[in-house]
Amino acid sequence: MIGCYDFCGHYEWTFEWLRAQGGHDLVRAYWDEAIHQDSQLHASKLIEAKGIEGMKEYWGPTLADEGAVYERTVTDDVFRIDMHECPSKGFLLRNGLNQYTDYCDHCMGWIGPLMQKAGFVIDHEHNHCGQCWWEMRRATDATTPGQSGELAGKGDVRLRPDWKSPHTDHYARATDPDDKTTV
Amino acid sequence: MNDACQSTIMSDAETPSPLPYTDTKPVGHADFYFATNATFRFIQRHHGEEALRKYWRDIGTSYYRPVTLKWAEQGMHGVADYWRAFFQAEPGSDVEVIESGDEVRLEVKRCPAIHHLRDHGRAIVPSFCQHCYFVSEAIAAPAGLTVRICGGNGTCTQRFIQRTADVAPQNLEDITTAS
Repeated sequence: MIGCYDFCGHYEWTFEWLRAQGGHDLVRAYWDEAIHQDSQLHASKLIEAKGIEGMKEYWGPTLADEGAVYERTVTDDVFRIDMHECPSKGFLLRNGLNQYTDYCDHCMGWIGPLMQKAGFVIDHEHNHCGQCWWEMRRATDATTPGQSGELAGKGDVRLRPDWKSPHTDHYARATDPDDKTTV
Repeated sequence: MNDACQSTIMSDAETPSPLPYTDTKPVGHADFYFATNATFRFIQRHHGEEALRKYWRDIGTSYYRPVTLKWAEQGMHGVADYWRAFFQAEPGSDVEVIESGDEVRLEVKRCPAIHHLRDHGRAIVPSFCQHCYFVSEAIAAPAGLTVRICGGNGTCTQRFIQRTADVAPQNLEDITTAS
């Protein structure tokens, strides 16, 4: 049986299997069709119906169940997550699993299309070491993300002494997993 | 990339586990069964049933390779240890692991995946239960073992036995269609 205990391990292995079968486009299609539209349809329904309130309802219990260490900052206009210990990437790092080129892309791969459909855009950055930050705003809101600590205070993941890694990947007002720049 | 992160995420204390990959949580997050079911559906829809079987065989021989090595080294005792630890970490499972000299039998009284998918009203891929056969067979064969499964759709019996010429092949019709 394929279990849920080590899900992140075989999930990451699956990305590389799909890439070998059908290239990058098949991996993108998988994140959108299988994860966004099928597996996570409960998240889609909540966020499309309730916007930022739906994000609170989805990510609160989900990240708790997964064992994430994170800070959440919510206003009427923005939903921000500062992920200090990603349970998913952490599992891969601890177990030395690294089949796919950038596991962290899967989040934008399914959350991006979800947010686009719900009328939001995403500013996001990940450091490949289990830390990242996200800001979701309505697509009609042109506000840009603030400097480190401006919105999340001391909980801003960018203030961690170990935030910097060989490189971070950055998304600006994006909903597409390929719309990233490397810093 | 991983080397660069060693200073930010510390390794767990080394504790022997029959499982090849371990987490800091004692049990998994059951909603991940949604993704496993969706993965099967996606591969089947895009590439057909034979591709789905290839996926199951490939994950068995590649991702679960450490399990094969343990079973080859430890024999039936390793098989029993693995499944006991495996189902302890799967939320909502009720499985008896019965070890005899030349066989390990799993009596799955409550399959955690089928029940979680059903409880949440998810459409289950009809061939879902076949994954247990194809994945386990791919793990077992290089260790000189084989598996035979009877039942499915929430309850089943899985027998891990020596791989000998007189063992009848798995009849896929003995594996119940999931719903």
